[in-house]
Amino acid sequence: MNEETKKKINARYEKELNKGERFWPDSIFKDVVVSLGIFILLVLLASFVGVAPEPKADPSDTSYIPRPEWYFLFLFKFLALYGQIPLLGKIEWLATVLIPGIAVGVLTLLPFIEKSPDRHYAKRALSISVMTIMVVGIILLTLMSEIPTVSADGSKLLGLLQAAAGLAIPGVAMIVLFIASFTGRQTNPRFFIWTTGLTVVSMIIISGMVMNLHTPPAVEETEVANTVVDQIFAGQDLYSVHCTECHGDDGSVAVIEGVEGLEGEKITPINSHDVLYTITDSAMYEVIAYGRPNAGMTPFGKAYGGELSRSEIDYIVTYMRYMWDDRFEIPAEALKPLFPPLAEGEVPSYEVHIQPIVKRYCISCHRAGKENNNYLMTSYEEILTTGDNAANNIIAGDENSYLLQVIQEHAIMNPEKPAEELIGVMPPNRALKPNIVDVFIRWIMNGMPQTAIDAAALFTIPTPEATTTP
Amino acid sequence: MWKKVYEWLDERLGLNDMYTNLLDRPEPKGNWWNTLGSASLFLFVLQGLTGIFLTVYYTPSPDHAYDSVQYIMEGVAFGWLIRGIHHWGATLMVIVVFIHLLRVFITASFKFPRELTWLIGIGLFLATLGMGFTGYLLPWNQKAYWATTVGTQIAGSVPFIGEFILKALRGGPDLSALTLQRFFSAHIWIIPAVLAGLIGVHLFLIIKHGESHFPTKED
Ligand code: HEC
Ligand code: HEC
Ligand code: HEM
Repeated sequence: MNEETKKKINARYEKELNKGERFWPDSIFKDVVVSLGIFILLVLLASFVGVAPEPKADPSDTSYIPRPEWYFLFLFKFLALYGQIPLLGKIEWLATVLIPGIAVGVLTLLPFIEKSPDRHYAKRALSISVMTIMVVGIILLTLMSEIPTVSADGSKLLGLLQAAAGLAIPGVAMIVLFIASFTGRQTNPRFFIWTTGLTVVSMIIISGMVMNLHTPPAVEETEVANTVVDQIFAGQDLYSVHCTECHGDDGSVAVIEGVEGLEGEKITPINSHDVLYTITDSAMYEVIAYGRPNAGMTPFGKAYGGELSRSEIDYIVTYMRYMWDDRFEIPAEALKPLFPPLAEGEVPSYEVHIQPIVKRYCISCHRAGKENNNYLMTSYEEILTTGDNAANNIIAGDENSYLLQVIQEHAIMNPEKPAEELIGVMPPNRALKPNIVDVFIRWIMNGMPQTAIDAAALFTIPTPEATTTP
Repeated sequence: MWKKVYEWLDERLGLNDMYTNLLDRPEPKGNWWNTLGSASLFLFVLQGLTGIFLTVYYTPSPDHAYDSVQYIMEGVAFGWLIRGIHHWGATLMVIVVFIHLLRVFITASFKFPRELTWLIGIGLFLATLGMGFTGYLLPWNQKAYWATTVGTQIAGSVPFIGEFILKALRGGPDLSALTLQRFFSAHIWIIPAVLAGLIGVHLFLIIKHGESHFPTKED
C-alpha cells in the first residue's frame, strides 16, 4: 500500500469523525445497554434453564456416545462426512488438521490476503460470499450433527444428502466463485449474490430434508439425583432391585435363602457396625463394583461386566450410609413412607401401593434372568399373568391365592408329591411386615384395582357402629 | 470538598487527561453492531468474576471435582446462579466473539490501519475457544470426560507429532488426574492471562486508531 492511499484513507476517516458522535456518552450508552441485556439474559438462562445434570464421569462406560462441545460439533460432522469420501476419506489428518489449519491460517492472514483498500460490500463480493457460505455451512453441520450418516435400516441416503448439503454444494459453489472472480470475467456483484443465494438456499433445503427424514431414536434418560434426598431414594430403588435378594430389604440378612447356588450361605449383615465402620465409602464402592466373586457376590460395576454406572453405585453407598450408619443423620424428607397408610375400608391400588412394595421387596428376584418360577413382577400385567402357577397365584377375592399364602409364611406344597414344597415362603429370607401383608390381602380380596381411581370406587365407608367416637 | 479531592487526584493521576483521551473521543456515527466488542469484554469480565467464585469451592481432582460442583449447585447459597451464569456465559461468549469477528469481517474493519487489531483478535478468538475446551472438562461428568476424550483424540491425529500433542494435553496416554490438573491450570491461569494481555493490546489499538466507520459506496 503506498503512502498516498494511506493518506486518502486517513482523510476519509477524518471526514467521518467530523460528522460522527462522542465515545462518551453516545457509544458507551449502547455498549451498556447491550451488556446489560446480556446479563439479564444470562440470569434468566441460569434461573429457568439451568445446567443440565449429568452423571459422574465413568471411564469404563464405553457405551457412552462421546460428543464434543457444541461449538466443535460442526467439525465432527465435517469429519464424518469427509470420511465417506472414497480413498481420500481414509487420510484422517487431511480433515482434522490440514483443512481446519488452512481455514484458521487464511482467517488470520486475511488482512494480508485481501490487500485492496476497498471496504464497500459490493467491492468485496468474493470474500463476503465465501464467508457467508462457510458460516451457513457451519450452522447447518451443527444442526445436523446428531443425525447419523447411515440410518438404522442401513440406508445411506441420509449420509449422501448430508454430504451434498455440507460438502459438495458449498465446495463447488466456492470453486465457481473463485474461478469467476480470478479469471476476471465476473465482477458484477449480482452474479455473486445470486450464486451465493442459490447455494445457501439449496443447502438449507437439503438439510431441512435430512432433518425431516430422520426420526430420532428414543433416548434413554439417565436420571441424575442432585440432592442427598434424591440420591438416597435413587440408591434405595437400586438397592431394592439389585441387592435385596441376597442382603434383604434392610441389609440384615445373615443367612442367604432362596438364591440359587448360595442357599444357606452365611454372610455378615451389611447393615452391621462390622461392615459400615470398617469399610470406607471408596472401599464400599469397590466391593459393589467388583463384587465378592469368591464368596458369591457378582460384580455390579459396568467395568466388571455388571449393570451399574459409577453414579448409581455412589447412590447405593449414600443410601446405605444414611439408612444404616448411625454416624449419619438421615434427612427427614428421606423417611417418607413407602406407601400412604390405608384407612379402614380403603382399598389399595397397584399404582399407589403395590408397585412401590413390589419394587422394594420382590423385584430383585422377580425379574427376567432370575430363578423365580418364571414369575415376573415388573408391571401390572406381569404380576397378574406370569408364573408357573399363574392360574392359582392371584385369584380375585380368594384368600387361598398362592401369593397370599406364601407371603403369610405358608409354603405351598406340591399336590402330587405332598412332601415337597412347590413354592417356598416369600420373600424367602424374611417375613413381610403385617401392614404390607394387609395391603396385599385387601388388594386381592377387592379384585386388584390398577389405578387409584379404580381403587377409590371400591372404598367402603365404615359403618357408623364401627367407629366409637366419644 | 469533593472538588478538592478531585483536584488533588487529578494533579497526580491526570484524570482530566484521561477523560479527554479515553472518553471524550470523537467516533464515526455508531451502530449497534459495534457493541459486540464491548459485549465480549463484558462477558470476559463476568466469566472472570463468576469463575473466581467457583474456584472457592471447586476441587480439581477426579475424586472430588464432581461432588464439589454438585455442592456448589446444592449446598452453596446462590451457587446455582453463579454456576448457571458461568455455564451459559461461556456459550454466549463464544457466540458473541464469533459474531464480533464476523461483523469486523463484513465491514472490512481489519484493513489499514487495523491489521494488527485483527491479528490480536484471532488470538482472542482461539483463546476463547481454548477457555471453552478446558473449562468443559472441569465438572468431570460423563459429557465432559468423553468430549475431552474425543477432543484430544483429534489433536492426536496430527501427523508425526500427534502422539506428542496428545500426551502433552492429557499428561499421559489416557485422561487422568493429570489431565484435569492441566486443564484446570490452563483454564484459570494460563489462558486467562493470555486473554487479558491480548485484550489490553486490542483495546490500546482500538483507542489509537479509533472505531472504523461503516463503509459506504465511497470506500
Ligand atoms: C447373589 C447374592 C448377592 C447380591 C445380589 C449382592 N450381594 Fe453383597 N455379598 C454377597 C456375599 C455372598 C457377600 C460376602 C459376605 C461375607 O463374606 O460376609 C457379600 C458381601 C457384601 C459386602 C461386604 C461385606 C463384608 O463384610 O465385606 C457389601 C458391602 C455388599 N455385599 C453389598 C452389596 C450391595 C450394595 C449389593 C447390591 C448392589 C449386593 N451386595 C448384592 C452376596 C450378594
Ligand atoms: C430372594 C428372592 C425372592 C424374593 C425377594 C421374592 N421371591 Fe417370590 N419367588 C422366588 C423364587 C426362587 C420362587 C420360585 C419358587 C420357590 O423356589 O419357592 C418364587 C416364587 C414366587 C411365587 C410363585 C410363582 C409361581 O407361579 O410359581 C410367588 C407368588 C411369589 N414368589 C411371590 C413373591 C412376592 C409377592 C414377593 C415380594 C413380597 C417375592 N415373591 C419376593 C424368589 C423370591
Ligand atoms: C475476547 C475477545 C474480544 C474482545 C474482548 C474484543 C474487544 C473489542 C472491542 C471492545 C472493540 C471495539 C468495539 C467494537 O468494534 O465492537 C473491538 C474492535 C475490534 N475487534 Fe475485537 N474483541 C475480541 C475479539 C476479536 C476477534 C475474534 C477479532 C477478529 C479476528 C477482533 C477484531 C477486532 C477489530 C479488527 C476491531 C476494530 C473494529 C473497528 O475499528 O471497527 N476482535 N474489539
